[in-house]
Amino acid sequence: MDATLIVYALNLSAIYALMAIGISLLWSSIGMLNMAHGATFAVAGYGVLVIGDALLPLIDPMLKGSALLPFARMAVLMAAGVGVGALFGALIYLLAFLPIHDKANFAVRGLIVTLAINLATVQALLWWFGPRQRALPNVFGFGRLEVFGVPVRYDQAVTISATVLLLGAVLAWLRLSRKGLEIRAMMQNPEGAALSGISVRRTALPVMAVTGAMAGAAAVLLSQTVFVSPGAGAMPLIKGMIIALLGGLGSVPGAAVAALLIGGLEAATGAIPFLGQRMVLLVQFGFIILVLIIRPRGIGGLLDETRK
Amino acid sequence: MTEPIAPILHKVGNRRHEVVLAPDGGRDWRRGRVPLVGRHWLKWRGGYNPKTLARERRLADKRPLWWVMCLGTLLLAVPFLPDTLLQVAVVFCVFAAINVVWTLIIGAAGILSFATMAVVGLAAYAAAAANVFLGVPWPLMFPIGVMVGLLAGGLLALPSTRIDGLYYALLTIGVAEICRVSISQIRALAPANSSINNVGSFIPQDWYLQRPGLLLSFATSFVLLLGALLLFRLINSERLGLHLQTAREDEEFAEAVGIDYRRARLHVFLISSAALGFIGAYYAMLYRSISLNVFSLDQLLLMFAMIVIGGMGRAEGAVIGTAIVVVIDRALIDLGPLRIILIAAVMIAVTLTTHAGLADARRQFRAWRNRIRSERRAARTRKGGEVMPEEATEIADKQQIAYRRFDKRLRDRLKVLVTPELIAEHAGAPLGPHSDALARVLNYFRRADVTDKYVILQDGPGGDWRYSVMALSGEAGKPPRVVDDRTYATRDEAYHAVFLLRVNDLLES
Repeated sequence: MDATLIVYALNLSAIYALMAIGISLLWSSIGMLNMAHGATFAVAGYGVLVIGDALLPLIDPMLKGSALLPFARMAVLMAAGVGVGALFGALIYLLAFLPIHDKANFAVRGLIVTLAINLATVQALLWWFGPRQRALPNVFGFGRLEVFGVPVRYDQAVTISATVLLLGAVLAWLRLSRKGLEIRAMMQNPEGAALSGISVRRTALPVMAVTGAMAGAAAVLLSQTVFVSPGAGAMPLIKGMIIALLGGLGSVPGAAVAALLIGGLEAATGAIPFLGQRMVLLVQFGFIILVLIIRPRGIGGLLDETRK
Repeated sequence: MTEPIAPILHKVGNRRHEVVLAPDGGRDWRRGRVPLVGRHWLKWRGGYNPKTLARERRLADKRPLWWVMCLGTLLLAVPFLPDTLLQVAVVFCVFAAINVVWTLIIGAAGILSFATMAVVGLAAYAAAAANVFLGVPWPLMFPIGVMVGLLAGGLLALPSTRIDGLYYALLTIGVAEICRVSISQIRALAPANSSINNVGSFIPQDWYLQRPGLLLSFATSFVLLLGALLLFRLINSERLGLHLQTAREDEEFAEAVGIDYRRARLHVFLISSAALGFIGAYYAMLYRSISLNVFSLDQLLLMFAMIVIGGMGRAEGAVIGTAIVVVIDRALIDLGPLRIILIAAVMIAVTLTTHAGLADARRQFRAWRNRIRSERRAARTRKGGEVMPEEATEIADKQQIAYRRFDKRLRDRLKVLVTPELIAEHAGAPLGPHSDALARVLNYFRRADVTDKYVILQDGPGGDWRYSVMALSGEAGKPPRVVDDRTYATRDEAYHAVFLLRVNDLLES
């Protein structure tokens, strides 16, 4: 087992972590399971495509030949992805959260409405863009760089470092900002937070925008290697869901640990010649079922309190 | 001599327009029963008309009529439908059957499981493989499907006891995907793109895709739907379903009474999985082939849309939702991807407006309407004891209504008469000559009911009397209660105190 496998595992874990932490964060703060996360992923991919086609030809002549060009292009694409993701998150907030968050049966009804949004969005993308897969402009090329003697592909390095930066930024925002304090209060005790004057509606919007932005970032990072298509969000959604489950549905550190575990498992399974890439999903499911049977609340049950 | 006037019977009460039958009161009562089971066919309730004293009967539960009407219309219309719509009807019946069994799992057993299509697909593949590769004759495909369904249900039930509801639901979404990937790995099927074709069936080869074959498909799928509804009825309304209903309402109570609801849930899950296996084998025979499309996530989400739109937990919901979605999906196929967007829009609209789907909309609307009515009634001026029209139909003795209205009007007039001068007049001469107004007020007080009537207690050693006020209980043998702890030196003070209490009660009523 060589170090490229570890890099590959970290790459996968980074992308899964972005999706899973978004789902876990949303569930623990406002009690809604967002099945439209996959749609956010796909919409952000297409948004980046459209905006990239418009903006990249403007940037290329300006920074032609300089070493900053790839970073600038990446920054534009990332900003586009994050922006489109955040906007779609706000749309989900308007449709699925606002009308029913204080009515009967909210958890189930929120799940259903987000599922419907997922269905409608995928079909709308199919209808507008057609079923062909499209490729995002490859920003860094296919070169490699050496990190502590381990060969790392450019896009893998960008993915891992961008994810770490992004998650660090989100955590810093949660810890240091006023809005982050309100969100953490809602995660701990929603009624107490309401009594302290924290409005559920006003706090849910930033949370949904931020989780949407994280899904958008995941779309940009993953689309360096995988094509953009209307159904591209389905597998990241399923993987993100089951990793959030494994980590304990309300626990953000749990989701991060679970993402590392699952990424490592996927890399390992792909490498073992007996199993191969085809058995990846089966092995992952088996592992998750095993953990959940032993620990019904997921890994997060060990780490901290989770919302039921 | 005056002619007798025939009484005019006005329709009164809450359910004025209900159809009421008038059976012959002189004959013996007879009610038909389902043979062998002893249940009644319909829920008739008998009574007597309070005005004419004639025997009446009405149907308490009209749902069987709705079922017969809707399914009967479908059955009668089908021979006249063109081939495309006939295929839509076949698909409707099969999917409705799957959804009814799924509703059994979600509603009765309370297990939110998304593994229905996985079970159906596995059973279909097993039955088709047995028929094509092992040469098993097609009638035996049914028992094979049932057994495979049972096996799959058993495997799925193992984690369901340990893993929590929502977690289990999200895990089962991936089960279909796992099945799809696993079956696509089987090398024997690879040449046919992982599908099995030329499966033996109850439809003869030359009838397949022709009109007679389509009619046979519809007939058998309709019988399948009826079978699924019968299974739903047998489980939901009998012992297993009632045990689970108790557990849904109060789990600790169910356990205390001795209901093993976990085992009941497991049994319902296994029976439903076996039924899904049967439907899977039927599915393979209906299309004479089975492919990996049965495991597709889009199809699963569409089935979920069906039960969501109809309402999770009721068989009517499953059928209504299936009808709506199948019509949009299959009959409006010209719209392309737009029809899925339409289905999603219907799903969102239904979920945002109803608590539990379309089938429950009537009950939800009635509850809302009653709430608005009672709010409006409370917001109108207080009637202070006068009887509301809708209450009046429920009171048998109409004289009471007249008395309450008279009492209310009298009290309103007396409240106007009570002034500080009147009270001062009584304080000056409690027993002495009274003015007209005071006399009317005192006469009203004297007519009060014995229960809670104020009386004066004269207590103390001889000569040194102390007076206090008590209230009679109104029941023989029960002593009067003390009203307050004030004592009065003279009887006149006590009279005045009683007068003040009664005036207070009058003004407050």
